[in-house]
Amino acid sequence: MHIPDGILPAQVSAIGYAIATPLTGYSLRKINRQANASRTIPKAALLTATFFVASSIYLPFPPPLGTLHFLMNGLLGAMLGYYAIPAIVIGLLFQALLLGHGGLTTLGINTVLLGIPALLAHQIFQLRHLFLRKFNSQMVHGLFGGLAGGMGVIGAALLFFGIVITTIPADLNAATEQAAIYGLTIVHVPLALIEGAFTASFIVFLQRTKPELLQTHWERSPKPSAVKEVERV
Amino acid sequence: MRIRLDDCTHLDSWVHQWDARFKLMALLGLMMAFASVRSIWLLPWMGLIVIGLYALSQLPLSFLTTRLRYPGLFLLGIIVLIPWLSGSTPLWQWGPLTLWQEGCLAALLIAGRFLCSVTVGFILLGTTPFLTLVKAMRSLGLPMLLTDMMLLSYRYLFEILENLDRMRRAMTLRGFNHRYRAAHASYPSLRHRLNTLAIVTGTLFIRSYEQAERVYHAMRLRGYGYRTVKPTTVQAYAPSRATGGYGWDAIALCGTLLAAIGLIVANYWLG
Repeated sequence: MHIPDGILPAQVSAIGYAIATPLTGYSLRKINRQANASRTIPKAALLTATFFVASSIYLPFPPPLGTLHFLMNGLLGAMLGYYAIPAIVIGLLFQALLLGHGGLTTLGINTVLLGIPALLAHQIFQLRHLFLRKFNSQMVHGLFGGLAGGMGVIGAALLFFGIVITTIPADLNAATEQAAIYGLTIVHVPLALIEGAFTASFIVFLQRTKPELLQTHWERSPKPSAVKEVERV
Repeated sequence: MRIRLDDCTHLDSWVHQWDARFKLMALLGLMMAFASVRSIWLLPWMGLIVIGLYALSQLPLSFLTTRLRYPGLFLLGIIVLIPWLSGSTPLWQWGPLTLWQEGCLAALLIAGRFLCSVTVGFILLGTTPFLTLVKAMRSLGLPMLLTDMMLLSYRYLFEILENLDRMRRAMTLRGFNHRYRAAHASYPSLRHRLNTLAIVTGTLFIRSYEQAERVYHAMRLRGYGYRTVKPTTVQAYAPSRATGGYGWDAIALCGTLLAAIGLIVANYWLG
């Protein structure tokens, strides 16, 4: 799903950076506003490293899927919230520098590709709180975890599709290339289902064994007004 | 998977001694210029610049060839697919298959740009210790939260890989086969397989998380989050260099950026 160096025109890469920079800045601002923001850094760094390792490993699946690897941006979004954006930037930087996967000129556009769906996945996963009182907790976590995981892949595939299709050079046979890109995008539907199922199982496992890991910093930390009140007292 | 960082950063070439901040700006500028190239006639010039830089860096050829294995798959895909997919001038036809001239040129251009950019990235990483690179990014304005997360992630990478290796071995010993075998009657279903993978990843995550928490508490006890020390010496950004000013670093930066601007202007001129 990553766009490698050399594919996109330099202008598109520059636009990617122009979008990724405020996106990262906004996330960092949100993070820094929280009391004791550095508390979540170990979890975020660990998930970044896991994201890097897991997305570099190709797993065998029955034909016609063959081997594939997880994107994990939905899982990052669900578990980290706004920390997912710096985590994705760092994971992509590692992949570009250590594996030559993706690239430095396309780091901005790849951050947008994976980061925006990750934030959407976070919002989807937060919706679970509306249903936790009425339904079985394990089922709700599995369902919303699965939706978040699937959303990560579908969102990234749609953005990838949109970017690549609008930047095909005019002198090439656009119809054939568009057909190839449509095909590639459709291939991502089973991948989204598989990643959704994997994320659901992962979330359910964490919810059973270490549920505090599923709470983002925003859910754990007291409201700023409450902190001010305590400080005043 | 084995992470190989800082393998060649102990060498003492001119590129190794280049201040990491200047090097980072120069090489990123060069990569952006490579990305802007649309004319096939500029590929030899790009190649010459990259070969020159690689020769100056004195990195062994094996450093590049081992790292190109993974991106090489992408390169192969481009070279094999695009010439058959795009174009209007046929070069060769066999049944429904047509080799297009424009496709061949596009594949060559994409592959050339990709190869040059990736090689420059590897030169950057091969000549700069990772920690120096992070320090340079920090001094160029990268937020502290990002650099802190980067350093911690880098530290955890090795831990996770070690845990993963151990767990894989344990899984194999317990009969989990990493290869797909359709004919095997006892081969687990996709659902069962995904569930197993999720549990293994979850266990790996929890185990590493507990270690990460211990590291974080140790860091807090040593003052993490209370003060920052900014490296100011030349050695901090160019560890292999004893002393000196920034004169040559700045000249090298200007030279590289001039080459990058030259490529962009030539590309514009060639249309």
